[in-house]
Amino acid sequence: MPPKNPLPPKESALFKRILKCYEQKQYKNGLKFAKQILTNPRFCEHGETLAMKGLTLNCLGRKEEAYDHVRRGLRNDLSSHVCWHVYGLLQRSDRKYDEAIKCYRNALRWDKDNLQILRDLSLLQVQMRDMEGYRETRYQLLALRPGQRASWIGYAMAYHLLKDYDMCLRILEEFRKTQTPKPYYDYEHSELLLYQNLVMQEAGMKEEAMEHLRSYDKQIVDRLYVQETTAHLLTLMEEHEKAAGIYKDLIDRNPENWAYYRGYETAMHLNDKPDERMELYKDVLEKFPRATMPKRLPLNFTTDDVFRELIDDYLKKALRKGVPPSFVSIKSIYQDPSKVKVIEDLVLSYVDNLKESGKFDSNGEEEPATALLWAYYYLAQHFDFLRNEVKALEFINLGIEHTPLLIELYVFKAKIYKHAGDIEEAVRLMDEAQSLDTADRYINSKCAKYMLRANRIQEAADMCSKFTREGIPAVENLNEMQCMWFQTECAFAYKRLGKWGEALKKCHEIDRHFTEIIEDQFDFHTYCMRKMTLRSYVGLLRLEDALRSHPFYSRVAFLAVEIYLHLSEHPLADTDQDNDVNSENLSPSELKKMKRKQRKAQKKAELEKEKQKAEQEKKDQNKNKAQDGEMDGPKEEELIPDKLARIDDPLEQAIHFLKPLQMLTPQCVETHVQAYEIYSRKGKLLLMLQSLKRGVLADRANPQFHTCLIHFLQYVQEQRELPGPTKTVIDREMKNIYEGKTALQLNEEFLASNANSQEHRLAAARMMYKLDSSRQVEAVKLATSLEGHLTGVTIQNCISVLECLCSGELGKCEQEAKDYQLLSHQRFPYATAFIAPSPSSSLTTNHSEQILVNGSALKNES
Amino acid sequence: MNIRCAAPDDLMNMQHCNLLCLPENYQMKYYFYHGLSWPQLSYVAEDESGKIVGYVLAKMEEDPEDSVPHGHITSLAVKRSHRRLGLAQKLMDQASRAMVENFNAQYVSLHVRKSNRAALHLYTETLRFSISEIEPKYYADGEDAYAMRRDLKEFRDKVEFGLNADLDMLAVEGPQVDLVQQKTPE
Repeated sequence: MPPKNPLPPKESALFKRILKCYEQKQYKNGLKFAKQILTNPRFCEHGETLAMKGLTLNCLGRKEEAYDHVRRGLRNDLSSHVCWHVYGLLQRSDRKYDEAIKCYRNALRWDKDNLQILRDLSLLQVQMRDMEGYRETRYQLLALRPGQRASWIGYAMAYHLLKDYDMCLRILEEFRKTQTPKPYYDYEHSELLLYQNLVMQEAGMKEEAMEHLRSYDKQIVDRLYVQETTAHLLTLMEEHEKAAGIYKDLIDRNPENWAYYRGYETAMHLNDKPDERMELYKDVLEKFPRATMPKRLPLNFTTDDVFRELIDDYLKKALRKGVPPSFVSIKSIYQDPSKVKVIEDLVLSYVDNLKESGKFDSNGEEEPATALLWAYYYLAQHFDFLRNEVKALEFINLGIEHTPLLIELYVFKAKIYKHAGDIEEAVRLMDEAQSLDTADRYINSKCAKYMLRANRIQEAADMCSKFTREGIPAVENLNEMQCMWFQTECAFAYKRLGKWGEALKKCHEIDRHFTEIIEDQFDFHTYCMRKMTLRSYVGLLRLEDALRSHPFYSRVAFLAVEIYLHLSEHPLADTDQDNDVNSENLSPSELKKMKRKQRKAQKKAELEKEKQKAEQEKKDQNKNKAQDGEMDGPKEEELIPDKLARIDDPLEQAIHFLKPLQMLTPQCVETHVQAYEIYSRKGKLLLMLQSLKRGVLADRANPQFHTCLIHFLQYVQEQRELPGPTKTVIDREMKNIYEGKTALQLNEEFLASNANSQEHRLAAARMMYKLDSSRQVEAVKLATSLEGHLTGVTIQNCISVLECLCSGELGKCEQEAKDYQLLSHQRFPYATAFIAPSPSSSLTTNHSEQILVNGSALKNES
Repeated sequence: MNIRCAAPDDLMNMQHCNLLCLPENYQMKYYFYHGLSWPQLSYVAEDESGKIVGYVLAKMEEDPEDSVPHGHITSLAVKRSHRRLGLAQKLMDQASRAMVENFNAQYVSLHVRKSNRAALHLYTETLRFSISEIEPKYYADGEDAYAMRRDLKEFRDKVEFGLNADLDMLAVEGPQVDLVQQKTPE
């Protein structure tokens, strides 16, 4: 269809030059040509020119003008595919993909065979996972351009992603028939074949996939994949001996891959034949004396004397050579207490013998002097793992005495203190370690991490700045580099300090990294089809679909939910600064002084910020000049801590963080506990019920979840008349979940089946008191017991108990809290959380609060 | 430690390991670029719980100046807590072999900071690289880099053997249709 207002030849030529300038990123020139058309009064409202001018402005970062021009252009020429296409591109640059798709569809109404628009549309469809739409668009592209490789591949992939394997394979095979591979190293053709093979495997076509690999063997360059897949397929087809042969080849290729050993053992049914199993490792070791896997894996399945002999050899070699990771390499063996005993006896005997004769045992040879040092180091780790911090410290100190400047010793001593609950001492030691090798970023990172655990945020940032780009603040550089561990630790530190806004800012920054990483896939939709790396591309799509299941996300998502829940119940008053928990320890005059200091610091920070902002703007402008300014995605709203903490709808924000986890990690019970907490505050009965239903499937015995179950039971009873349909659903579902039991019965059962777990006892005690406050004595006793047979007695769990005693959840129990603090102190002598404040510093009248303050300094340690 | 080829799922954990250990950092997209252009070339070392303790992020040189196909190591790291296990060498060997098999690489190159004596020692002594030239001001902070190379001949010999061995084994399986020969030219 011809445009509504065709331009005469001269202007038409100018218009074409605008398009060319846009393609070649000569935006300034583009604007010049647009001006030449638009200054002519006859064409000053020419739709397509206005639209193109807008698109060009957008590339120069002038967003508002861009939208004005594009919209005006479109209004003037609603039947122009160019105007619609441009509007779509503009929306796409703002990541409003749904809107952009609509625009492209409108554009195609006026020019249905426009290749460029069809291609752009298909990219958005796959990005948004509109696979049906994608398939249709790819079909049109194939019909229009059957000679192009991408047409075939794209169409086939659409079917693959829709799980129509049959159709996908038919298209791929048709396409393959047209291909003539180069005689050597035709990587792209090889990738095509392997993609075909992957689809066959996903379709469950084992024999066909096997046959396919055989037929095209010479054309496939990815030898590793061929071998791995062949072995896997043969195993599935129960051709075990052939599979075993290939696993043997794979071991030759890479003797450090445990999957190959497992594959061989499965194929040869060796799992209950320890002697034959051992032969495999002996063979490999003979062939590859330097390989570690054949020395390591037999330690898992051997027992008694054979194990003793092997571990004796393993430990001696490790200590002789001085291999620092020899403990972490065999940590999983520690699940077996009898093996732990063997190891302990052996290394302790080495120490005695080395001290006496310089030998590991009486009939050995003289060992290097460092062997004793490494034995100390090993034992320190050994006892730390067993949570015997006294012995762990004893051995690490012996090590330091032996060799005073070995960094690893300080690193580990710091770790022992961290585990023992004294983070301040841990930081001091890690800082010492760091100072011994300032060129090593790993130690630097560890040191910063410990500082954050001790809530020393500024110090941590300063520490990191030794390795971040000069000229910009470390925190900014770390954000730019998507350094999520740092941001996570910061978020937790701010939360412990009661700086809700700052903590939320970090949570949002991490959330934005995930958005950005999902965005990253956009360019690969075209790229991978060109490169033919289709297997990896499908892997990328699947990864992106589940990206927020990564622990980097879930950790801060749960934290954000916790903070928003807190803010929904304790909104900040207008006068509140972000809370600073530490201020609770200060006398009034100190408090005043601190506030004054804070105000000063704040003023300074604001000034600093303005200065930086001005500089940044200047830089941005320069950048724009330099590159004729291409914008990379929309500018994001600045995250302002105070604004985040004073949000109107904290519960909606909490849901925003939780939603992806409900989709992606339903097996994690904490997801449903948090969902329940949110919905119960919103009073959404059916959504509360839904969270319970899901939680029951994930882990019914979880202590937090247990309290949700009881809460709901009571909550429903408190409701007066419920609407009919709701009541029906609730009655039905509750019957399944509760089986008609009362809250009391539920709690007794829960306790009975988890009677030895400290965490469960606490939950049961809380519910016991809540259901019947006359049972306070019993509940407190239940919660505060520290008897030897209990499991899960950790510093963190004891802090939880202490906090519970202080919070009044078990009624008034000041004396009990003091007693429990003392008891915990005896159990964990190094943990600062249980050290009662000395009389001189304890001016505060509310003792319980003091305990709480100490306690929360360690919360969320993991 | 387990050594295996890196999958898309690993890339984010490689970035994490990189940020802990090295001063040269990259955004995720750069890891994706490697993983999606040369999926066979990057390797990871993981501990028993699946945590990445070391990795090599590798690529092929695009449009090499000497028009000799060769690989390039973008980044190689092993956590300090896992040193002295020989992981760097094991990772490099696997990556190197994959470069030869998939892309017919003749040699592999890398850059190292002039001041990084520990890395220089690793590359020259353990991994048998040698300095090919000095690139002035290669790094963002103005430091010079050594450009280093390692010939991949030893892997090329191994690969040819490997390929033939595979073919022999499969030939025992009986007659097969060679679809390449069957195809008639159009």
